[in-house]
Amino acid sequence: MVNTRSTPKPGESTTLWFIKFITGPILLVVAFIHVVINHYVGSIGGLLSHAEVVAYYQSWYIPIMEAIFLITVISHSLIGLRGIILDLKPSMSLMRVLDWVFVLGGAGFVVYGMWLLRAVTALGGA
Amino acid sequence: MNTSPNLFARIGRWFDPRGRSLSDYGFILNRLTALGLTLYLFLHLIVLGTLAQGPDAYGVFLEVIENPIMKFGEWLVVAAVFIHGLNGIRIGMNSLGIAVPRQRETLIVVFILSAAAILFFGWKIFLG
Amino acid sequence: MAEKWNITLVIRRQKQGQPPFDQEFKMEANPDENVIDLVERVWAFHDKTLNYAHACHHSTCGACGMRVNNVEKLTCITPVRSVVADGGTLRVDPMRNFPVISDLAVDMGELYRRMELVGHHPVNLDRKEAIQSEFRPSGPAEPGEDFIRLSDCIECGLCMSACPIVGSTGDYLGPAPLAGAHQAGVKGNPGLLELVSGVDGVWRCHSAFECTAVCPSNVDPGWRIMELRRIALAEKWKSWFSPNKSAEVRK
Ligand code: SF4
Repeated sequence: MVNTRSTPKPGESTTLWFIKFITGPILLVVAFIHVVINHYVGSIGGLLSHAEVVAYYQSWYIPIMEAIFLITVISHSLIGLRGIILDLKPSMSLMRVLDWVFVLGGAGFVVYGMWLLRAVTALGGA
Repeated sequence: MNTSPNLFARIGRWFDPRGRSLSDYGFILNRLTALGLTLYLFLHLIVLGTLAQGPDAYGVFLEVIENPIMKFGEWLVVAAVFIHGLNGIRIGMNSLGIAVPRQRETLIVVFILSAAAILFFGWKIFLG
Repeated sequence: MAEKWNITLVIRRQKQGQPPFDQEFKMEANPDENVIDLVERVWAFHDKTLNYAHACHHSTCGACGMRVNNVEKLTCITPVRSVVADGGTLRVDPMRNFPVISDLAVDMGELYRRMELVGHHPVNLDRKEAIQSEFRPSGPAEPGEDFIRLSDCIECGLCMSACPIVGSTGDYLGPAPLAGAHQAGVKGNPGLLELVSGVDGVWRCHSAFECTAVCPSNVDPGWRIMELRRIALAEKWKSWFSPNKSAEVRK
């Protein structure tokens, strides 16, 4: 049977969906830890003060966990958003532009988040 | 197929509640929470930039989020995380062929657990 | 004597190129007749210009799908008492997502083309499904004898009308064609697997399960779409770890 309907890269939908699928449970675990620590155990009505945030980032595993959180949450949300846009029947040319926006925007936010992590971690060594 | 040329009419089709079954409300909530959480994520990341600017800038941010409207927003985020996360587990299981004939019942469990979590965190945020 | 109810029937009318409007008909109804009977009475005794599709009157042809009180129903098997009370109002609209030809009659051509595209057979060739005990409790008459039976899907289009994603992107193959592809079998049919796991295939489904809720024929398209996802994921997984096989599939 000749497939004349799907996109030139027909398999990519399965791969992207799989990434969204696999990042979901990772996010649930990491987001839970992130939310509980950052919003419910600090001294300012549950929130961490600036000094507490800096102290929290001093152990080696917290920046790693937060980096995993950053990458998974950005991938999951942008792949999901892309799926929602696909549900609105965009033209192929618009979708090509949007794909670049998602890739560059997502990479930009990951770089920004990594910089922020480093900056906050470095404040503890000052 | 004959879908409306009007973008807003097409978006409206997702959220049109007339004649819907229970499972459709799972879809509607999943979509609303996905959009809300994505918006929150990027705002959150931008605002956290104040952490790098030192204690004073971060202090201003902490004061702003003590505002009751912001607290209500925080509660909405927690609600969205629970609804989207728990329903996500259900959809993920279904997509592996698990519990599909029980998708309605699992959605009811998702709603009950989400409601319990939303009430608990509402109490913590506003009264705790 | 048969019970008699007084009801108001509201029908969405639209002739091509003209704006739609609602028309009310006050009528007597036997609560045990079906909604299609009321529509036919409107045509017979009130307005000969009313257009609607119907044929078999016993849920085999799939022609009389409409929205009854906003829910997709096969009107030949929808008893009046299940959708309205005595003195109440009953609303009938054409199906969504199909072009309206006239009043309650819609153009189902695109659905039929898609069913053909996925190789849906009106006769069920899936031996495992065909020999379920409910169809032949005593088992095969002869060893090795294959059973065939009519496919469950009557191509009524109710699922295509109810699906919120078909409503926002008509390119999405939709529940009935995906269920048809599942029934036709995607394993060993790389072209079909490519189609159903492509961008307009199973990943456009977001688990509203409206299709399963409205299907009058127990096809359970929602379950079939989830099965197709499982197969697509498993095949993808295999292709990652056995590239030769995926090259074969691409050929
Ligand atoms: S799957 Fe069910 S609702 Fe959809 S066209 Fe076939 S019989 Fe009708």
